[in-house]
Amino acid sequence: MGHDKEHHAKIATGKGDPQCFIGTAGGPSKFKVGDRVRIKNLPDIFYTRTMVYTRGAIGEIAVVTHESPAPEDEAWGHVDHSEWFYIVRFKQKDLWPEYPDDFPNDTLQTEFSERWLESV
Amino acid sequence: MSNDHDHDHDHGHGHKPPAPMVEEISDFEALEIAVRELSIERGLFTAEDHRRFTEFAEHIGPTPAARMVAKAWLDPEYKKLCLTDGIKASLAVGVDWLNPTGFGTPSDYTDLRVLEDTPTRHHVVVCTLCSCYPRPILGFQPEWYRTPNYRRRLVRWPRQVLAEFGLMLPPEVEVRVEDSNQKCRFIVMPVRPAGTDGWTEDQLTEIVTRDCLIGVTLPKPGKTTNIKLPVHHAVNPANH
Repeated sequence: MGHDKEHHAKIATGKGDPQCFIGTAGGPSKFKVGDRVRIKNLPDIFYTRTMVYTRGAIGEIAVVTHESPAPEDEAWGHVDHSEWFYIVRFKQKDLWPEYPDDFPNDTLQTEFSERWLESV
Repeated sequence: MSNDHDHDHDHGHGHKPPAPMVEEISDFEALEIAVRELSIERGLFTAEDHRRFTEFAEHIGPTPAARMVAKAWLDPEYKKLCLTDGIKASLAVGVDWLNPTGFGTPSDYTDLRVLEDTPTRHHVVVCTLCSCYPRPILGFQPEWYRTPNYRRRLVRWPRQVLAEFGLMLPPEVEVRVEDSNQKCRFIVMPVRPAGTDGWTEDQLTEIVTRDCLIGVTLPKPGKTTNIKLPVHHAVNPANH
């Protein structure tokens, strides 16, 4: 907090966002590609970008994408602490129990910050 | 770069009288005008800045992304670059995500991921939260991409929604939905279709339509326009 309105423009110009947050997560990523993870069902007071349909589901890390402040913080201007982000791949059947058995290979990918993931 | 005109225009030379400039202003349009005027008054940006940005926003379209795919089909080295660094690969098709307008700040987020289809895997992109879209390289979203109907249903019944776009894939093809919910932006790189041997980059670019790049259709020789979704008028329309 305490940054002026132009803070984001100042740090992102010439680098881009999320590139301007490289090295700000305080260490290496906790998970690696192929790790099995469960999406935590945390309370989401005020703001989140973690969809309800993924809560509690198990998937695997498809891509370790980048470091960035989590949206739950960034939405309120708290940009001084970053987390690693991951694209997680789910079997559709693990998200939607009613997903037809005729298409067992179908998948869905979406992205989470590290706070939402726990090892399985 | 041309704008993507897939909606019908009435240019006033048909049977209908010329449409008035403004029929009705929505609350959001009124709000936009108010915020814009206050910002100009306050000196946050000038009217000239606003005009230049509007002109930029109105002329961007899907052509750079289409060319990126066509180039990648022809050049395996470039394809590798697309799959590992979409932002760098964009430079070859004239899009600099760090300075997309030629003035001002970088694009809001600058992490482009290219999703490569294979004969047994098909990608399709959605943003369930809002309408996240790689605008610098693909222009503005089609209206349907923003609708709750597409956003809610694609993640849950992807094959049903794709069928509504005319795309039916056999069960052995994996349908992979990419829900674009954070800072990454996505385009789909379809498989180069049969019947395009010996084609030039320009010819290939023409068949990579916006709809192919979102993943709701596949490229095909001769198909150079987006899908026109039928409009079903209400049987018993409300009159108000």
